[in-house]
Amino acid sequence: MSEELAFGGWSGILIMAIYGLIMLTIGFVTYLRNKNARDTNKNYYLGGRGLGVMVLFFTFYATQYSGNTIIGYAPQGYRIGFEWLQSITFMILVIVGYLLFAPRLFNLSRKHNFITPADWLDYRFKSKGITILGSFLMLYGLGNYILEQLIAVGQGVSGLTGNAVPYELVVVFFIFIMLTYSWLGGMKSVAYTDTMQGIALLFGVFVLLIGSVLYFGGLPSSTDYMIAFDSDKIGVPSTDGLIGWFSMLTLVCIGAAIYPHAIQRVFSAKNEQTLKNSLIGMSWMPFVTTGVVLLIGIIGINAFPGLDTMESEQLVGMMANVVASENALFYWAMILLFGGIIAAIISTADSALLTFSSITSRDIYGRYINKDAEEKKQIKVGKITGVVAVFLLLLIAWNPPGTLFEIFVLKFEVLIQVAPAFILGLYWKGLHTPSVFTGMLLGTITAATMVFTDFVPLGIAAGLWGLLINTLICVFGSIIFKKSVKYEGEETKEAVGF
Amino acid sequence: MFKKEPIKNGKLWIIFGILFVLSVPWYLPTGSYDPIILGIPYWAWIILLVSIAFSATITYAIKNLWVTDEDFEEEVENNE
Repeated sequence: MSEELAFGGWSGILIMAIYGLIMLTIGFVTYLRNKNARDTNKNYYLGGRGLGVMVLFFTFYATQYSGNTIIGYAPQGYRIGFEWLQSITFMILVIVGYLLFAPRLFNLSRKHNFITPADWLDYRFKSKGITILGSFLMLYGLGNYILEQLIAVGQGVSGLTGNAVPYELVVVFFIFIMLTYSWLGGMKSVAYTDTMQGIALLFGVFVLLIGSVLYFGGLPSSTDYMIAFDSDKIGVPSTDGLIGWFSMLTLVCIGAAIYPHAIQRVFSAKNEQTLKNSLIGMSWMPFVTTGVVLLIGIIGINAFPGLDTMESEQLVGMMANVVASENALFYWAMILLFGGIIAAIISTADSALLTFSSITSRDIYGRYINKDAEEKKQIKVGKITGVVAVFLLLLIAWNPPGTLFEIFVLKFEVLIQVAPAFILGLYWKGLHTPSVFTGMLLGTITAATMVFTDFVPLGIAAGLWGLLINTLICVFGSIIFKKSVKYEGEETKEAVGF
Repeated sequence: MFKKEPIKNGKLWIIFGILFVLSVPWYLPTGSYDPIILGIPYWAWIILLVSIAFSATITYAIKNLWVTDEDFEEEVENNE
């Protein structure tokens, strides 16, 4: 994305300003319509559990698909060709992941007024260790997730401003807007702006596809090129590629479904029918999102042959430059595309930040630091920690450390380690609490160590090795110690099990 | 709590398992791509069809295999 954009400059700045003002207006109107949005945790963090099907669908969509879906996935399609079809399947599998826990967790969240994912852990295990470790893993993963978005928005903005103004200024402008609408209306503002941002992302994807087909030729010309010069990208992948494919499907199926901000969206649904309709819609979106982005990447193989890994990262900018230079219509369409990419990045960041705030305010502050704090005070603490976290992460994004950068890369690897507690906890009465804690801890240590040492046995992702160890400890620990298991109370006993 | 719950439907998870295994082209000859239809190699069409079957199965499961008990609904509404 650091490719200099032919359409960068004041026209890009104008579009970014318009996008920013639309977000701010949506946030402000939402606030005016829901003035009690900041009164309770339920209203602020879950939109009063009142998100309708359209808004819930788009907030799921904008959370699952980011600007990275265009700027990161198209180059991946360019590099590995049709093997990147896996991006369609793994996005569908996220919904299968939801089916493992969402129906029951949604019902329990309404019955017991869960606000954060850790509320379920606390209710189920009544273990300080599991709640704190689970909260820490979620905060850590979310922090790195927000950092990733801040780095991406910096790259996008620097391309669109074309050095007409310092890009840091525009990044701060977008963060200010994001914080303002989040503070005003909480989840409702975030969800309504997600709707606008999701539409902008979809529009951008299709405009780039149309432009690419018109100016670079369609798939057949790319396929002819691959047959002649690059047959690895068109043939059935080798064994290594297939193992990586299976690994990716499993990792995303469980890892992306268990995103804390995704779970809060499950809690936010108005009713069961709303949640069901939103998830049905989501199960078809990979075809028109990652599928279309894959086509763009494959068209790029013929349009810009022979790019190395670093050069291919700038593929979308390179394609947009050519398309924009064709006529005025596509010039503005490409500006809208990049504005849409930035909006999509912001929409992912705001969702993660709201959940980050809810975990710090309710699970850390309200549960352990100040148990008597009123909900309004908890929300205030959440807002302040959210702002502090964003600006600390922004400093890291602008001044990346020379060493130990891996600690800022861990995301899926740690988030996925809460899955056994979440999913097994819903269905297995005899799950042994100390084993769950031990599994979560050792799974995290295993995955993190493998990432730091770049150790990838059999080509299977580090997060999955950690998850395997985690799950084995949970299962065998529960079987070995089953006689010592005491249910934590009649309520928990009713909530779990087949 | 539920009249029907997706997790409890064994047939559903067998179908998901079969689709999962079929969604990676390990059963096709490495490096093959002919015939190519509309610029897309034959094996990619197979994966696309499996993906469509996945989405269709999810849609069916959510519509028909996820039904909350009325008593539970009533209890929750009374709580709220």
